[in-house]
This record gives sequence, structure tokens and C-alpha cells, in this order.
Amino acid sequence: MTAGPSGTLFDGLSAQARPATLAVQGDELCADTGDGAPLRWPLRQVHWPERTRHGQRVLELPGGARWHAASAAEFDAWSAALGRRDGWVVRLQRSWRATLAAVAAVLLLTAAGLHWGVPAAAQALVAMLPASVDEAVGDRVLQTLEQEWFKPSRIAPERQAAARQALQQAVEALPADARGHRPWRLIFRQGSQSLGPNALALPGGTLVVTDALVELLADQPDALLGVLGHEWGHVQHRHGMQGVARAALAGAALSALTGDMGTLLAAAPAVLLQMSYSREFERQADEAAAAVLRAAGRSPAAMVAFFDKLGAIERPEAPPFLSTHPPDEERRRFFEQAARR
Amino acid sequence: MTPSTPDAPLRTLSVRFVGSGSEYFRIWIVNLALSLVTLGLYLPFARARKLRYLYGCTEVDGHAMSFDGNPWVMFRGHVLVWLLALAYAGAQQVSPLAAGVALLVLVAIGPALWCSSLRFRMAHTRWRGLRFGFAGSVGGAYAAAAPAYLVVALMVGIGMLSPDSPAADPKAKAAESVMMAVLGLTALLFPLLLPWILHRAKRYQHGHYAWAGERTRFSAGLGSFYGLALRVGGLSFLVVGALALCIGLLTTLMAGLGGRQGQVGPGIVIFGVLMGLLVLVVQMALKGYVTARLQNLVWNHTASQNLQVRSALPARAMMSLQARNALMLVGTVGLYLPFATIAVARLRLQATAVDAHVDIDQLAGDAAAQSREGAGDAAADVLGVDIGL
Repeated sequence: MTAGPSGTLFDGLSAQARPATLAVQGDELCADTGDGAPLRWPLRQVHWPERTRHGQRVLELPGGARWHAASAAEFDAWSAALGRRDGWVVRLQRSWRATLAAVAAVLLLTAAGLHWGVPAAAQALVAMLPASVDEAVGDRVLQTLEQEWFKPSRIAPERQAAARQALQQAVEALPADARGHRPWRLIFRQGSQSLGPNALALPGGTLVVTDALVELLADQPDALLGVLGHEWGHVQHRHGMQGVARAALAGAALSALTGDMGTLLAAAPAVLLQMSYSREFERQADEAAAAVLRAAGRSPAAMVAFFDKLGAIERPEAPPFLSTHPPDEERRRFFEQAARR
Repeated sequence: MTPSTPDAPLRTLSVRFVGSGSEYFRIWIVNLALSLVTLGLYLPFARARKLRYLYGCTEVDGHAMSFDGNPWVMFRGHVLVWLLALAYAGAQQVSPLAAGVALLVLVAIGPALWCSSLRFRMAHTRWRGLRFGFAGSVGGAYAAAAPAYLVVALMVGIGMLSPDSPAADPKAKAAESVMMAVLGLTALLFPLLLPWILHRAKRYQHGHYAWAGERTRFSAGLGSFYGLALRVGGLSFLVVGALALCIGLLTTLMAGLGGRQGQVGPGIVIFGVLMGLLVLVVQMALKGYVTARLQNLVWNHTASQNLQVRSALPARAMMSLQARNALMLVGTVGLYLPFATIAVARLRLQATAVDAHVDIDQLAGDAAAQSREGAGDAAADVLGVDIGL
């Protein structure tokens, strides 16, 4: 029996440290402590340590006993001579190429996950939610809005009815697969000064248009229909709940990635991600607006007038990556191109 | 066993941390890649490997600690925690009532999970071949968490009771204002109660550690926690005030020099990013201060019959380390994380030592703990929950 590596043995029953040399005999591991017969354990029950550059090699023996190697190099040479190989994960960890590949994989998977994975998972989650959830959420938001931001509309009922009818007819004229089946209702409100000309789509199907917007587009009924179609698009795609689901999933993923260093660091990426998702939703709603206008027999270019009017009003524009909407030029170009199709 | 005496210890066991940032980076990134590829299923195995490395690199008196938790058991706990988190997030979206119910459920089982997690972690940690233990009971966990309960229950209850629409008649309005006042008061009280809640939690944790027949006692009083809270509060106030002043001045300066009204040019964006970075660095530094002072307070008052832990972590060193970590993390899109973890672990561990008033070699394992009897350990192993506080 050739002497194997030397180290310190703890028998798991007392804290006493005893020097011990290891050896393998048949299918047993022996530890020779120098006093008395060597201790033996079945090799099968011994848990071998993974190779690391730093830290002690600790052999886990049955019954809670532990053997610490005096020299990691001596232990590694002995266990290699016994024919023991590193596990596949350890081999990956020790290879610089594998490490670089892992860095690339992590970056790619994270980007892909946040770009495609989260939206897909959010879609699946939202599909499981009944429409009543949307309505409940939308009702609460509307209540808050009615208290703080809205007053009864001053637009004449006939004009309101005309707008409703225009949207209704346009939606019914859509091809069957684009019609959407979510119920909607259109209400008008006088919004506070800071809201300005605005339109909102709430979860559950309530579309709100401010008086200021109606007045702004009084001479452009097609543009108004386009805006209504845009908001209707938000409802049909369930963007409200999608946004909430994506925020929750992305937030969870980001905080899982950043771990305990993290909630502060995860905040900025989370916000940027939310903005990106929001811009995606706005583009989808713009496509719905173009479809609605076409179904009503109008040109999508009518929306250009809307952006013209908006541009005339001084509005601060955030940089593109911090904005909830795509830049106005991009949206204007989309509708011009849609008109040519 | 004789109680610990105030005279000089027989020996002082020094703590050394030999982990390396670059080695831990390789372990971390490979395991993270595997976890992502398996959509998170590999996480408990990654966690077990990380704990093994970190514990294995912690040498107390020249002998490494070891972690031997079974990753498959930790997998069970992992799935359980994820299901709970998902259910809670889902309930939040449905309605405030559902969110309230979900919160109450989490609060109801939280302390049990906490106790189980502590038992699991301790039972699978060894030094010199002897298993650690956690002697706290599940009931003790609930008792320790009780004040936090009251506050949370009060806030949730008021949240659930408050009507959706504003009350019409004056009586209901009065009742509602009373409820809002109580809610507001509770919200204000919560930070004031935090040191008390933390004291109870630490007393439960540090008062029940066991090893080789030793049992720890936690001797820090409530006053010391409030003292620390006051110092942290004072420092935060000063720092945040200075920061706000600094940012305010710089912002007005920028606005004065700035471009056309309403245009957000690249200069303003860069300025915004720099200010954000400054806030992040200051926040991490403050966190470092709290960590250092709390570690010293808690560990200097943790002692068993013959062993006394000492911690002398300088707050300034921790603050500057965390500030550096914040900058590096932002610069490397988070890839610096394992290096930061190792640096923090080294600083924290090497600031501690253990005074032994008895010859360690003479200590023997607690028979009951070593034989793994007792429903507590078994339940801990069934659940395998390791929340990792």
C-alpha cells in the first residue's frame, strides 16, 4: 500500500484534529492516523471535492467525518493517478474558452430573454387571465382619473355619437381576422390643463378622448378616427395587461440576475426596458389605426395632419430611448408609407 | 461547561478568506449560463456549488469550513419559493383584495420558511467535522417576527377596508379620514419600529446557533440597535442633503447653460446619467456603512459558553469598497458581480475572529445534533428551503 497524500482527519464525533495519510485498498479508502488500525470507508460513499485553484481539498466521508488535504497539489496528483476525472462543469469552469463562451451566452440569453422571452411569457400569462380582470383594473384607473384629472365633457352629444359611430362602422368593415373581439366603449372627458389633447385606452375596453383633442382635430375628422383606431388597437391587443405582465416578469428576471447587489442596479435597466416595450405597443397600435382608416375608406395619411398639429404645440421630447412613444417623425413616416400601400 | 470568563482567551482563532475573484467569476459565469439555458432549473445546483466554494475558502484557525447541502433537496425548496413568488405577483395584478390575501398567506408561512431555511443551512455546514445546528423553534420564529406582523396586518387591513370610491356622507367620510390617519401613522411608525423588528430577528438568529455542544447567546440590547439606527439616520440625512444640494446646484447650472427650452440634448442626457451614477454610488456606500456597523454590533454580542466572536470591520473600508463596486458594476454591465462578492466576503470575514476559552480539540459533537434526529432537521431536509438571508 503506497502512502497517499497526508492531511488532517476529523472523525465527525469530536473536534480533535488528527494527522492522517490516505490510501486506497481495493474498493475501500483507508486513513492511517499512525495510532491504531487505519480507518476504512467504502469508496462509493466518499464524496470527492471539485478541483479549485484556491481553498482546501476536503473529502466528505460517511458518518460526517472529514479529511482536509495538507497540499492540494499532492491530493490532485494522487486522485489523478487513481483515475479520477473532473466533472464536466468543473472542466468548463477551468477552461478559458468555455468561460468566454459562457459570458457570450449569458449576454445573448439575457438580451434574447428580455426581448423575446418576457413578451412571450407575458402573452401566455395574460391569455390565462379572464377579461373581468382587465375590466376591474380599468375601472379602478378610471375612478382615479375621474377624481383627479377629468371633468364632464363639453363636446355636444351629437359630435360624440358621430365619432362613436364612425369608429363602430370602421371596425365592422375590417376583415374578419383583424376585427378583434374585445368589447369597447368610447367616452369623452374634459381633461385637466396638463393633459392637453390626449387619448387613453384603459384595460377592459374604455377609450377616453379629451375635449382638447376633439377641438384640435375638429377640421380633421379622419385624423380623429385614426386616433380612435389607435386606441382601439391598444384594447384589442390587451396592451394594458401585457405591459403590467411584462413589467412584473422583467423586474423579477432583472432582480434575479443582479442578486443581492442589486435592486438599485436593476432599476435603470428595468425602466429602459419598460420604455422599449411601450414603444413596441405604440407601433402595434399605429398599425391598427392604419387598418381602421383603410377599412373606413380613408387614407392612413390623414394621421399626418395629426402629427402636424401636434408639432405646432411646443412639447418637450425626451431622447428616443427614454420615451414611451416612438419619435413623431418615425410615426409620421409610417402613416405616409401605409397610405402608399 | 463553565461560563465564559472575562479574562484573556486561551487562543484566538483567526478567520482567513482565500477565495479569488477571477476563480469565482469562472464558477459564477458558467453556472449562470447553465441556469439561463435551463430556464432557472439549474439554479439550486449553482447555489450549492457557490456555497461550497465560499465556505471552502473560509479558513477558521487554518481549517476550512464545508457545506454539504444536497442540491436535489435544495431544488425542491427552490421550486416552492418560486411558486410562492409567482402566486404573489399574480395576485397583485388581480385586485387589492387578492394581493392582501396573498400577502397575508406569505406573512403566515414566512417565519416557518425562515426557521426551516436556517436549520437547513446550519445543519449542512461543518467545521472540524462537526455539524452546526440551529436550535431555534418555529414558534420562536413567529414570536421574533410578531411586531413586523402587526404593522403589516394593520396596513393591509386598512388597505382592504378602505372603500374604492370616496365616501358621500360625512359620517363615512370621517371614518375614512380616521383610517387614513392610522394608516399614515403606521407608515411613519414603520421606520421607527424597524430597529426593534431587526433586534428581535437578530436575537432569534444569533441566540440559537449551536456547534460542538456550544450554544450561542445574543447579548446586544434594544438600545444599541436604536443607537445604530440614529447614527445611520443622521448620516443618511447629511449625505442625502448634501447630494440633493449638489444635484440641485448642478442642475440649475446646466439649465442656465442649456439649450432651447423643451429640447433634451445629448449633454443633458449625459448629465442625467452622471447624476444617476452619483446617487447609485452614494447609496451603495451608505449600504456599506450599515452592513459594517451592523456586523460589528451583532457579532460582537454573539457568544457561547466558551467561544466569543469578535468583529472589527471598519465602516470606512466597507463604504469605499462598495462605492468602488458600484462604479465597476455599472462599467461592466454587472459582470463584475463575482469579483465584488469575493471582495466583500474577504473584507467581512477577515474582520472577524473567535476567542476560544477552551481547548478546541477537547470539544465533542452534540450527540443529538450529530445523529440528525428531530423533526426539525427532517422537515428542513424535506423542504430544502434555503432563502439565504
